[in-house]
Amino acid sequence: MDDNIVIQLSGLTKRYGYGDTASYALKDFDLTIKRGEFVMIMGPSGCGKTTLLNIIGLLDRATDGEYTLDGEDVSDISSSRQARLRAKKIGFIFQDFNLIQNLTVIENVALPLVYVNRPRTVRLKAASAALNRFHLSEREYYRPSQLSGGQQQRVAIARAIVSDPEIILADEPTGNLDSRSSSIVMEELKAIHEEGNTIIMVTHNPALTVYATRVINMLDGQIDTDVKTVADHNLPQPVSVKTKKRRRNKSAEKEEN
Amino acid sequence: MSLLLRTHLRLAKASIRQNRARSFLTCLGIAIGIASITLILSLTGSISSLIHQEVSGIGSDLIVVRPSRNKDSVTSIVEELTAANSFERSSLSLTDVSTISSVEGVTAVAPIAISTNTLSNEENTVSSATILGTSQDFITIEPLALKYGVFISDKNSENAVVIGHNLALNLYNTSNPVGRTLTFYGQRFIIVGVLEEIDSTINFDNVNFNNALFMDIEMMEKLMDFVQIQQINVRTLNTSLLEPISNNITSALKEHRYGDTNFSVSYGDSITHPASNLLTIISSMLAIVAGISLVVGGVGIMNIMLVSVSERTHEIGIRKAVGASAYNILMQFIFEAFILSILGTILGIFLGYLLAFLVSLVTPFSPHISWVIVAVTALTTIVVAIVFGTYPALKAARKRPIDSLRYYR
Repeated sequence: MDDNIVIQLSGLTKRYGYGDTASYALKDFDLTIKRGEFVMIMGPSGCGKTTLLNIIGLLDRATDGEYTLDGEDVSDISSSRQARLRAKKIGFIFQDFNLIQNLTVIENVALPLVYVNRPRTVRLKAASAALNRFHLSEREYYRPSQLSGGQQQRVAIARAIVSDPEIILADEPTGNLDSRSSSIVMEELKAIHEEGNTIIMVTHNPALTVYATRVINMLDGQIDTDVKTVADHNLPQPVSVKTKKRRRNKSAEKEEN
Repeated sequence: MSLLLRTHLRLAKASIRQNRARSFLTCLGIAIGIASITLILSLTGSISSLIHQEVSGIGSDLIVVRPSRNKDSVTSIVEELTAANSFERSSLSLTDVSTISSVEGVTAVAPIAISTNTLSNEENTVSSATILGTSQDFITIEPLALKYGVFISDKNSENAVVIGHNLALNLYNTSNPVGRTLTFYGQRFIIVGVLEEIDSTINFDNVNFNNALFMDIEMMEKLMDFVQIQQINVRTLNTSLLEPISNNITSALKEHRYGDTNFSVSYGDSITHPASNLLTIISSMLAIVAGISLVVGGVGIMNIMLVSVSERTHEIGIRKAVGASAYNILMQFIFEAFILSILGTILGIFLGYLLAFLVSLVTPFSPHISWVIVAVTALTTIVVAIVFGTYPALKAARKRPIDSLRYYR
């Protein structure tokens, strides 16, 4: 299998209800996403975009079908394994930021590292570095409610990347923001993408598709159109993956010797 | 693992600090339960240590023979507890006293027979006073001293009696009525001695000597036809011979009764057993009642935890989205319940001892502090926290992340 495939969905179905009342959020959905893609998913309300994102993000389960994440079949894994993978491989960005109001900004950013057992100092250092990157260093000990919407969303992005995940999932990250904050947030996402991160983003705003390398239009739980604007070999690759590959090649060479 | 535990601890602390008033009230529920358990255990502990002190004060060279039924029934435990008073007819008799006296190594034997009657003289009447029939050895065995006069003995007339300090005051309005007379059972008696006042009202004879009248047991038998011998106190030559001598007493009595064993011979700490067994039962009953208030406190914890869980549904959703497993969430909330109940316990132990101290100001008991009490309360706390914290924590852990994320206050 191609090393660069991060997500592979085949025959994915999500059904609500049974029998006559059954309705499908996703129907026989097939999708392959490669490392370094910036996928935007568009479509009318109720076409299954958010359901798709939740299933990819292991927050929800498909009724049927197969899902392979980073080479691991995750269709039928336990919920604790799901949690583990969420902590290690997935970063979430939500429309309404979803920061914990009782925690300071830096604690919010450090939160995912709690669940991969990092010591407190390591967590805070990593969170501080992530915040610094989004020019929020001075706001580290603020409460989320003391920040503007755009700042809160940048905190959320910092939280999403702090554990260095394989994929970043964004559910209308600019939905609650004015156009100025929107474009700042999109620039940040673009910068993250250029470092080789894989981003899957759901949006209503067609103007944002300029940032994407691939635009998928969904209709009634299925793919309507799927357009790639950047060739696969031109996708940015993360540094860590490159070094991993190099290491793998080296060890292969050693074995040959 | 320890890292995660520390994180949970910090989270729980933060959450408790955020809801100070609420957390304090929840702790108070637990604290009241723990305080009442501590108070009860501390007071009963002080009573039983008083009894033990009494025994060791008398000296450890004492053997006590008590009547008992043949041990053939399950109810014998209950009977043993109330052994002092419950027998319709005591199985011990005056011949047993002489049998025991003839056992080698025995230096003094004092039977104790209890009766009550109305005492009267020219001035006063005391109804249902304790009349204690015994022998002249009594004064050498018990830690008693005479204030005035002498104790009953062979040298005195049969009508000689000795009375306790309070009884002297009640009957004659003076502490020295030696030589004066009183009447009971239609007989006249002369007072030959008065005892010193005794501080401790609790002893292994179950008699308050301050209010008792002491007379010769043989005279008592003559008056009443039968004496109810509650116990026979035996003093021995040497502490190291306690066991062989008590065995000799047992076999001598057995022989005399053709094999019947309707008596018990005890020495050392077990002398206090009837009293301390009863005490244990009473105190555990009281502790169980106090335990009910602890259950109420536990329900308080559960209630507050449920509120906390539903208040923080959205937070749980976020935590799960960024990688918390159900187990992580479970531990987070169990820790919170745990800390609440530990705080309640610490508060409760302090409160309990404070109350015990206050009680000790007006009673002869001194608060009894022991690791057992702390261990018992700590253990109950753990149980309460686990029992009442688990359900809300499970409820939190089982929440589905997408539902929780959608939930807003």
